[in-house]
Amino acid sequence: MTIAQALGEGVQTAIIGLSTVFAVLIILMIVISIMKAVFYKEPKKQLDKAVDSAGKELAKAVEELPVTDKAPQDDEELVAVIMAAIAASLSTSTYHLKIKSLRRVDHAQSEWNKAGLHETISHTF
Amino acid sequence: MISQMGADAASGNWLQVIGTPLMLVVACLLMYLAIVKKFEPLLLLPIAFGMFLTNLPMEFAQRLLHPQFFIDESYLINGHDLDMQLIASQGGLLDLLYLGVKLGIYPPLIFMGIGYMTDFGPLIANPKSLLLGAAAQFGVFAAFFMALILGAMGLGFDVKDAAAIGIIGGADGPTAIFVTKTLAPALLPAIAIAAYSYMALIPVIQPPIMKLMTTKKMRSTVMEQLRPVSRTEKILFPIVVTLVVGLIVPDAISLVGCLMLGNLAKESGVVERLGKTMQNELMNIVTIFLGFTVGATATAEQFLTPQTLGIIALGLIAFSFSTLGGLVLGDIMYFATGGKVNPLIGSAGVSAVPMAARVSQQVGQKENPSNFLLMHAMGPNVAGVIGSAVAAGVFLAMFK
Repeated sequence: MTIAQALGEGVQTAIIGLSTVFAVLIILMIVISIMKAVFYKEPKKQLDKAVDSAGKELAKAVEELPVTDKAPQDDEELVAVIMAAIAASLSTSTYHLKIKSLRRVDHAQSEWNKAGLHETISHTF
Repeated sequence: MISQMGADAASGNWLQVIGTPLMLVVACLLMYLAIVKKFEPLLLLPIAFGMFLTNLPMEFAQRLLHPQFFIDESYLINGHDLDMQLIASQGGLLDLLYLGVKLGIYPPLIFMGIGYMTDFGPLIANPKSLLLGAAAQFGVFAAFFMALILGAMGLGFDVKDAAAIGIIGGADGPTAIFVTKTLAPALLPAIAIAAYSYMALIPVIQPPIMKLMTTKKMRSTVMEQLRPVSRTEKILFPIVVTLVVGLIVPDAISLVGCLMLGNLAKESGVVERLGKTMQNELMNIVTIFLGFTVGATATAEQFLTPQTLGIIALGLIAFSFSTLGGLVLGDIMYFATGGKVNPLIGSAGVSAVPMAARVSQQVGQKENPSNFLLMHAMGPNVAGVIGSAVAAGVFLAMFK
């Protein structure tokens, strides 16, 4: 094979090959988009209800969680953790949640502390 | 042993005389890389040890693997079909295990395990990732092109060799082996070693190209969170992909079909026991056989050639151009969406999962510590697996 032939063959194969790869993946892209249209429903309405009923108390408590004076990066991590916890308890994805603010609910005792106390008392009596 | 070396020297086969000790040194070097430097040790260690075993000076009949049985026309029936009778009666342990490579059994089985371990969710949530996975196959064709030119300049690569070398750019070991064993079996050890070594070097190869192709502002782009994907979509995905690939590129179907069977097993959630086997026992067993036998094909006469040097150089070019291809399309998407797509996820289109995606994450986080690109980069990353399998299918269809 001469260099000229190699150039020709190489360019030709590259064009055919790359366009086949793109064609297959573009078809898949279209199919996935159709699948999204058919099978995926924005679960927003359901979510609002869920937040209204079951999550109201939680949302309130969470809204009043603290902004501590640690480094800002630690805060971001904390927000991410709280957000994930809310998402898990509402059985939805963090994708649907928007947290505006977090403040700590003022209690001398933490909720864990209270729960522990309740448990001890109910076991005793 | 000594008499064997003497006979080789007398017959003028100097390559066997100097080559064999040299190959033992190369094998030890690879073992060093696997054990001390931890370069893809799961594959490189069996490869290196296979290489070590096969290069011990032994009588022909005692050898564990006879590459001649698979390559040399005088041992093949009609010059191209395997002589199974001969392999069964005279073959060593590794000859028999090598049949799994030669007949194209191992790479699809590995893909089954990969399919079970892969979450296509990020890809389904952001189907545009598929374009990045396709663009990152650019290196495959760039390296193919350059290998052809080098071949024409006298390095002795023909079209089939060039295709097998190009596939290194897919950054996918099983795919590279699958193509090479059919198109250029003599180059198998060099291509497999180049592919796996460069995969291990992705965190070194990619970042400079990524910085070259993007600005600081582009790299710190924060992307919108991906939507959740429903179970129905995840279950339908493997079926649909198999259908589309099977209809258009039937030569890629044994790879893509097994990948998707593994994925369906995972997403359906009803065959957990089979899934465990696919991703653990089966994959580990096959990996051992694959690495061991591929390494054992690296005899001095096959490995110590100018072609090997060419393959190592072209492999690096293939990886670099694949990264480049993904980044160029990433840049285009960045501008087309008005800065909503971080172009760094483009380089993850090379299919080394999840290494390439991790590199995108790390480079992105360097610019903007609160940026999490990993899930966004997983989309192109798993698309790259499909893309390189399709590219392999194209080569097989054209040159088989």
